[in-house]
Amino acid sequence: MEFKQSGHLDPALTDSATRTLRTDKLTGRWLNTNPDTQGIVECVIKQDGELFTVDCFGAGPDGPIHWPTCRTEPLANLEEEAGQRTFALSATFEFSFMKAETYIRVNKGVLVIVLFASFQDGSKRSDYVNREFFYRPQ
Amino acid sequence: MEFAQVYDRVENESVATPLDISNLVGVWINSNPDTNGIARMEFAEVDGKPSVRVDAIGPDGLIDWGAATVKLCAASPASRSTAGFTCTYDFGFAETQLQAMIMKGLIVLAQVHKFKDDSGRMDYFVREYFAVVHDRY
Repeated sequence: MEFKQSGHLDPALTDSATRTLRTDKLTGRWLNTNPDTQGIVECVIKQDGELFTVDCFGAGPDGPIHWPTCRTEPLANLEEEAGQRTFALSATFEFSFMKAETYIRVNKGVLVIVLFASFQDGSKRSDYVNREFFYRPQ
Repeated sequence: MEFAQVYDRVENESVATPLDISNLVGVWINSNPDTNGIARMEFAEVDGKPSVRVDAIGPDGLIDWGAATVKLCAASPASRSTAGFTCTYDFGFAETQLQAMIMKGLIVLAQVHKFKDDSGRMDYFVREYFAVVHDRY
């Protein structure tokens, strides 16, 4: 088996139990912990068979902007803090003027989205990285 | 100007200049001495482009991943200060994406490993911390 680091040989990666981890810690509706965010206001994650769909809503001047739905495969997250073994997601949102690559994980009940935005429209805006936190509404 | 969130609606009047790599240049060491992932990263500017060289932990010592060009990110669309980077290593049997934020003197590095072989390994995610090597104290 080929590898480029010892982590590639982790037996958990071929353990069937890893593929059947509970997904309910990740799925559902999440709201930004910052009510004044100018970024992502809401994220909805659903399981669709072996895939997940991610719907994000950006803060807009006239209400939330629904981003294109992303379908993505789950990633094993074997070494989360406190020894949690769970799933993470890598989701890319394509716009004509920008690409937003995100990784999404849950840590102690908080959804964390780290977003890497790259602009493709010559607007002189800098590509940037941003991190936001989300909670489950009651 | 198009935007997907208000955060992106900024007008940069100045000419776009490359982001400064100076806060990345040097050797960064994993804070976890027992990692089974990336042990160290060395950043430099090669032919005018920001570049990283990675050494990862293997069963018999370090594995040199070679150099990769990195794409720098600022802290916001209006900023010109480097706050992170992304790059990709394609190993043939697997592809590894590195996505990093610089926070409080640390690189917080997310790794997404996607396998392209028939080994049955599940794609996985790792997040680790790196500190720059310095000689100030």
